[in-house]
Amino acid sequence: MEFFKRFSKRLGFMFVTLAVMSFIIFLLVEIMPGDVAQTVLGQSATPESLKALREAMGLNDPIMVRYFRWAGGILKGDLGESFYMRGVQISSIFWRRVGHSIVLALTALLFYVPLSLFFGVVAGVKAGKFTDSVISFFGLATMALPEFVSGVILITIFSVSLKILPITSVIPIGENLWQNLKILVLPALSITFVMFGYVSRMQRSSMINVMNSDYVRAAILKGMPRGYVIFRHALKNALLPSITIIGMNMGWLFGGLIVVETLFGFPGLGSLTMSAIKTRDIPLIEACVLFITLVFVVSTFITDMLYAYLNPRIRFKGGEA
Amino acid sequence: MKNFLLLLKQNPRAILGLSILLLWILLALLGPSLLPYSFSQMDMDNQISRPGLNGHLLGTDALGRDILTRIVYGSRSILTIALMTSLFSSLAGILIGFTAGYFGGFWDTLFLRIMDIVMAIPPLVLSMVVLGILGDSTIASLTIIVSIAYTPATARVARGALLSCKGSEYVDAARIRGESDFYIMFVEILPNTLGPIIVEITARFAYSIMMIASLGFLGVGLQPPTPDWGMMVIENKSIIREAPWAVLYPSLAIASLVIAISLFSDFISKVMIHEK
Amino acid sequence: MKNNTLLEINNLTVTYKTLTDSVVALRDLSISLQTQEALGIIGESGCGKSTLSYAIMGYLSSNGRCDGEILFEGENLLTKNQKQLMEYRGNRIAMVYQNPYSSLNPSLTIGQQLDEVTIFHRKLSRKQAREKTLEALTDLYLGDAEGLVKRYPHQISGGMQQRVCIAMALLCRPNLMILDEPTTALDVTTEAVILDIIGELKRKYSMSLIYISHDLGIVNKISDRIAVMYRGEVVEMGFKRALFSRPSHPYTRALINCIPRAGVVKEEVRLNTIPGYVKRRGLQETGCPFVDRCEKRVPGCTDKYGMMERDSNHYSACDRAYATDVPDKEIKALKISKEIPQPEERILDIKELYKHYRQGGTKIRALDGVTVSLETNQVLGIVGESGCGKSTLGHTVSGLLTPTRGHIIYKDKEISVSWRKRSPEILREIQLIFQNPGRSLNPSFTLETLLGRPMKKLLGISSKKERIKLSRQILAKVDLSEEYLNRKTTQLSGGEMQRAAIARAFSIAPNLIVCDEPTSALDVSVQASVLNLLSELQQTSGASYIFISHDLYVINYISDYIMVMYLGRICEYGKKSEVVGPPYHPYTEALLSAVPDVDPSLDKNTIRLEGSPPNPTQRIKGCPFAGRCHKKIGKICDTTPPPRIEFSESHFVYCHLKPEDLGAV
Repeated sequence: MEFFKRFSKRLGFMFVTLAVMSFIIFLLVEIMPGDVAQTVLGQSATPESLKALREAMGLNDPIMVRYFRWAGGILKGDLGESFYMRGVQISSIFWRRVGHSIVLALTALLFYVPLSLFFGVVAGVKAGKFTDSVISFFGLATMALPEFVSGVILITIFSVSLKILPITSVIPIGENLWQNLKILVLPALSITFVMFGYVSRMQRSSMINVMNSDYVRAAILKGMPRGYVIFRHALKNALLPSITIIGMNMGWLFGGLIVVETLFGFPGLGSLTMSAIKTRDIPLIEACVLFITLVFVVSTFITDMLYAYLNPRIRFKGGEA
Repeated sequence: MKNFLLLLKQNPRAILGLSILLLWILLALLGPSLLPYSFSQMDMDNQISRPGLNGHLLGTDALGRDILTRIVYGSRSILTIALMTSLFSSLAGILIGFTAGYFGGFWDTLFLRIMDIVMAIPPLVLSMVVLGILGDSTIASLTIIVSIAYTPATARVARGALLSCKGSEYVDAARIRGESDFYIMFVEILPNTLGPIIVEITARFAYSIMMIASLGFLGVGLQPPTPDWGMMVIENKSIIREAPWAVLYPSLAIASLVIAISLFSDFISKVMIHEK
Repeated sequence: MKNNTLLEINNLTVTYKTLTDSVVALRDLSISLQTQEALGIIGESGCGKSTLSYAIMGYLSSNGRCDGEILFEGENLLTKNQKQLMEYRGNRIAMVYQNPYSSLNPSLTIGQQLDEVTIFHRKLSRKQAREKTLEALTDLYLGDAEGLVKRYPHQISGGMQQRVCIAMALLCRPNLMILDEPTTALDVTTEAVILDIIGELKRKYSMSLIYISHDLGIVNKISDRIAVMYRGEVVEMGFKRALFSRPSHPYTRALINCIPRAGVVKEEVRLNTIPGYVKRRGLQETGCPFVDRCEKRVPGCTDKYGMMERDSNHYSACDRAYATDVPDKEIKALKISKEIPQPEERILDIKELYKHYRQGGTKIRALDGVTVSLETNQVLGIVGESGCGKSTLGHTVSGLLTPTRGHIIYKDKEISVSWRKRSPEILREIQLIFQNPGRSLNPSFTLETLLGRPMKKLLGISSKKERIKLSRQILAKVDLSEEYLNRKTTQLSGGEMQRAAIARAFSIAPNLIVCDEPTSALDVSVQASVLNLLSELQQTSGASYIFISHDLYVINYISDYIMVMYLGRICEYGKKSEVVGPPYHPYTEALLSAVPDVDPSLDKNTIRLEGSPPNPTQRIKGCPFAGRCHKKIGKICDTTPPPRIEFSESHFVYCHLKPEDLGAV
């Protein structure tokens, strides 16, 4: 019952967040300086044609009207029409790109989550020893590399010198992603580096905390073997906080996607956002940013619920015997 | 202070980090006066020149500009912006985080909810969108936007630090003396939170460098011809096969600076734990 | 068995290497323990008692080094590696810790944590292990064991958690059980029950116990022999009665004397104190560890010395406890000359005070209708266990909390408001002394700032010179020299910090001071001097105290009037002598019987309180104590609030029983 209450409360808040965010995004983008009509028609446009275009685009309506028009459309699945590419429905190009990015993000998650948790645990168990020094330093170094920096280094090694992986991650026309899985590797690895660094450090310190806890000491002094204590007593408590951290870092992951897709020319949401900004394509920007926010908010919600479920202290409320 | 130096000696990694950082600062301050070229000077005869040749230690880019010079000049802007960002965002974070944590209740919940909402857009995305739409970025606009993007995070840290002190009895003792809330927050509590806050400032410094470099990479950094490390990477990406050094060296510069600051930040947090 | 020695520790020395130097935690320690014997180890902070238990278990941190031998059933444990030690731990030697909640894994059920012990050590199947677990839980009188094993640690109370930990230690029928301050975190009444159970189990399973505590009364209750430790050494060891009636070492004697016990009151004596405080021990120090604080010292004491047998099975490192060449210090009670007659007038009136607040959705009834008053120059002692509301009462009087309902009237002014709304005069006149001086004094400031600020803010003294002059004066009153002005709290010991806090409270000449457990966080030897100080300052200044404590003997020592609280209500109120003697409220009676006596020859029958510990979230219609009362009449106790029975003008209780049944003559 407690759990259900928490669930619905968080779910509700999630929707509120999305609604508020959509408004903020809309506001932010719409009130930015720069005349959209000007950008579309170019420098040589006449004042009349600018005026007509603005009218046609609905730019002269009050802001709240425009917001609800847009939001209403979004809820119906209509992402609107691109400003830059006149006449093109955003939805036609949007979802394909989103799919690509999701595959890329999942690949990155697949790479970094098991690795960082594993090495974080190992570093924590062997804290202070040589293994830990190596893992920690590696973690620190990779955490310090922005995604494009690790990308550049990887390209230099694997594409330029060794020539075993493609430099760019473009999908040839006519083919789809599944026929070109090789292009996923370097971009995913680039994101993996920085995420690995951060999560493995957090996992390490969580593991160290748990290994130093009173209950681990009590378990050892009960005569339980060390390996058993690590697996049965320590691991679950040490891994739990990492769930929250991974969830919170989904935001960073998506930021990284933009950088990585730009570097590798990968046809995903990130590169779409980039070109949208460059061309001041307002509806497209709004759609992209909204989606990124959606992913982040949903992943936060999921990790929050997962954490609450796995943590007995929250799942079973305390009470008297 | 004595303890600080003692611990430093035992920490070779921290010494490494500190030295690299100091090296960069030195380069930033003195470098330009020692270098023969200007950052926009185009050596037409030696475009895409390999490192070591023709008087260009780190080679030249597609326009014949000396990479070493551009890196050194770039270090000035990135260090300045990152430092200012970390300081401003920490200051704003302390003000907001302290107020939320101290008054608790409605204000705190409101703060947490707002922070949750603002943090729903990744800082990079937020900064990129705003700067992209604003047009050409300047040192001021970069500093302000990134500071705003980072304030929720620093506010969280400040709030956490305050909450860990708020329950202490000296706060109660101050209350029954009739001290004002402002006094309690900033005269009584603040000195005891300096540990985590200083660690946060140094960590934020490292993150800022990463952010600014990434923003430059995405094209919203300082406009040419001003050298921007991130911009240097994206400008020369197309010739990565022919001139990998044009992309590699700026990248390594970024990496070394962030690693150095991170090592130092790690060390500072060890010192703070030791002080307790 | 011919040889009855279970554990023999010979010349154990444990040293730790830190960043700057080496610390000797245990020096040349030798103890022996027989089968079926309970050895109590008593000592204050820094004496190394915990280090000793971890050394026996073979669990010291990596920078620690052991020399000497620990012989358990003939085998030297120090020569064993971790794998070999596994066979002893939890199996032949088991340990119970101070904090039961943190010693239990929050992610595993109680059942899982108990079963694994027998699964590993006895190779039992899951089913068999579970049977053993249920058996052990029943041994500890835990009802509904079947339901308990499915729960997680955070779902049961502290007392139950500790019983679970003890059950866990019992599972393999160890020959030796080490208990490290197991009841320190628990209420006195819960503690009493657990001590009884431990004693019972020791007899039932023929175990030996090592019981570690800082509380001599508790150790006396459970042990046969006692070892007194000080700064890493055993200074005296012997049977408890001999130790108590004729201690041999000056430290033992001083320790026994400085503990406030039954019958020791401020009107008759000042407590004996041990001057100074415990310092960490360096590598080079030899000779008597107590010499710098000992009153019986002579020039030869700084040289090396050793344990000698003074009497049958009574060892000590020194026999000068009653030495006559250095006369005993005379401790006279403070006699206040009553030249200036002190008018007894009402200073505080608390009427029907309620404090309810919400914590995460549940309503906590901290104060549920308290009415009491206080005169000038009077000490009101408030005693009760956790959840009784005594701290809440102190906080509402001092202004940190706002009452939900009711009135607090100070000198005819209504002050039932928070500090924000109180005038500077009231703020100055009502002060608060906290339990933990390290936290009540801002660690970032020097004493000069800490003392000067209230003077500036509440007395309006703007001249820094003037403030420093006054600070020096007040420091002198609490026996601290003026060089302390430049120190920060991190450079002070616990006792010194509390004195500074007391100085701060008195520096602005208040009329009413709320003392919230001011000595509970201090070492026993320091407690006495702080109590003396508080008592003295109160009598010379004429201020009134609301003195809050869970320690009945401390309350007995310092108070004029005593109020016993339970679940936010008053059980009994009266002059000190009236409350500690019959007639009693049943709860007062239980409390008095539960507090262990320092004198082992006083064997009293503990009243075992069953039922669940007080729950301030429940709405209680009748008597708050009805759930656990050993003298409960029947349904009426649950449904109707008990009436007030007045035994005298000053003494009353709230109870349904007839006055004769309460022990009234």
